[in-house]
Amino acid sequence: MIRFWNRRFRTGILTENPEFDKEMQTIRKEMKDLVKKRFAGSLAIRMVDSGSCNACEAECNALSNPYYDLERLGIYFVASPRHADVMLLSGVMTFNMTPHVLDAYKQMPEPKWVISLGACPVMEAPFEQTFAIKGPATAHLPIAYHIPGCPPEPIEIIRGLLAFLKGI
Amino acid sequence: MRLIARYAKECEAHFEIITVWDTKIEKESVPKHDPRIKTLTKQHPAAIWFERKMHDDYGIIIEDAFDNRPLVHQEYFPSAIHPMQKAFQAKSITPSDYKPYKYETIGGDGVFEVAVGPIHAGIIEPGHFQFSQAGEDILHQEVRHFYKYRAIEKMLEGKTLQAAKPIIERISGNESIAYQIAWRDIVLQATRSELPEQSRKYHALLLELERMIHHLTDLGFIPNDAGFGAALAFASKLSEEARRQLQRLTGHRFGFGAIDFESHTMQTEVWLHYLETLEEELALFEAWIIDIPSLWDRFDTTGILKAKKAKKYDTVGIIARASGLTLDRRDEPFYQTHGFVLQTESSGDVAARYKMRLKEARNTLTMLRNFTVETSEAITLHTLQDGEYFSFVESAIGELFMSVEIKDGVIERFFVRDPSFVNWQALHLMMPDNIIADFPLINKSCDLSYAGNDL
Ligand code: SF4
Repeated sequence: MIRFWNRRFRTGILTENPEFDKEMQTIRKEMKDLVKKRFAGSLAIRMVDSGSCNACEAECNALSNPYYDLERLGIYFVASPRHADVMLLSGVMTFNMTPHVLDAYKQMPEPKWVISLGACPVMEAPFEQTFAIKGPATAHLPIAYHIPGCPPEPIEIIRGLLAFLKGI
Repeated sequence: MRLIARYAKECEAHFEIITVWDTKIEKESVPKHDPRIKTLTKQHPAAIWFERKMHDDYGIIIEDAFDNRPLVHQEYFPSAIHPMQKAFQAKSITPSDYKPYKYETIGGDGVFEVAVGPIHAGIIEPGHFQFSQAGEDILHQEVRHFYKYRAIEKMLEGKTLQAAKPIIERISGNESIAYQIAWRDIVLQATRSELPEQSRKYHALLLELERMIHHLTDLGFIPNDAGFGAALAFASKLSEEARRQLQRLTGHRFGFGAIDFESHTMQTEVWLHYLETLEEELALFEAWIIDIPSLWDRFDTTGILKAKKAKKYDTVGIIARASGLTLDRRDEPFYQTHGFVLQTESSGDVAARYKMRLKEARNTLTMLRNFTVETSEAITLHTLQDGEYFSFVESAIGELFMSVEIKDGVIERFFVRDPSFVNWQALHLMMPDNIIADFPLINKSCDLSYAGNDL
């Protein structure tokens, strides 16, 4: 345990290369201000996977590792759509998942937004239309913002969230 | 005998049922006008999902099966449609009326049900778990999946192996390299080509790095599900760094597009230096985590899968090895000469699965060193020959099986069995004698793929 704490103090806060750090700092500041102004200090996101390959979820999980630490910006992933401002939608809309995604959307209180994450929901991933896929998410939900990538890297997700916040 | 997979394919006049065992492959023909087969579930309970899927896919009737419910096709799926039949070519279907799914439950005084999913509380893939509860105690659990069913098998029919690659590598994102290597082995067999040693090493290195990322991620998330967040902070830092190495080597954080027949150069100095830091950090992590009694209190005796059951349910991978089965596709000369040592545990609980990940991470580290190559060689493939090809790869989760039939140069039938497909069926065996609050912990200790299972 002592060894652990020694290391903990020596490591301090994880930093990246200076350039990335500078960008993070600006993003962080802008983001914090926007979250504060528009969402009273906390933006609640409900992540919904409607048929991904799981890499998009992995990148969202990576957002909370010490390098990105999204929560310090006041952005939280919440457990229920009823607590959410934003639905972050990943994956193709499968025939089997679509009713559940729409259900979750219905449960979200107004005002609410949907952000599509990655190439899948907009049908730009290599997956082709089959009987088991119900076309692009835009046909089912009002998409307020799209974050492209396959998968979008954590920093791209952060940039995307910032652009979304600026746009509303 | 261990059951690996069981699936059907459509031929001119009949359906062929292919059953893959660890020692042989059996084929059986059934007429199209009355397709019936006998169930294997009495000896191999995990055959049931394969058989239910066969019914959904082709309309094949499984005689004497104890469970005839649809598997892949859910409440709104039109029951008359069997989409893997060649005649079915529609690109969309109209939802049918709602047909409720009858969950497997236990009745009795005061017994109640808890439905979890398909959308879960965290950032995780969708699936459904139905619990029968006596207070806190779990009496039974049914795992229900296929919410993510994208019809990959059908999607790939008629494509060349090259055109299928971008889809195959995205079947299950965190096993992408394993899927690509399974694809590679099929291409090599179909073109009667050989891979030079250097390239084999390079590909094996990428697969071990993928495994390392997987294990590091779990080494953080499993304690986190027992309320020990510090481990997640530590281990997720390590997995992020490993992922960045994968990106440095392949240009992609998940290695999409990484396995090919081109030549690649590694900056070995940077790489070996990275391995050194990883080794040091991993040793520190292990010394720290092993010594937290309150955490092991939660891990020990939680979610036990006994060796007998693990065998009976034909489980593979970490789960099987944590219950004492000596089963690993890497247990062969090529891996052994590069430092592979088969790891097992015996208690079959969360603790065993956690220790397995620690041990395997250490062993993988050795192999990552031994597989280091300056450059891999490019090769030219010979001409493709029609035929039926099979491949096996040990992914981070367990044994992955893929089979592809090529006809007239394109895919006639694509089948893949993710390790998760068999392991999911053993999850409920770990539940009795546990409380429902431990379910997330048990589930995480297995860390199975939903996407690879559902296809
Ligand atoms: S967008 Fe790409 S990475 Fe994300 S789920 Fe789809 S295939 Fe996977």
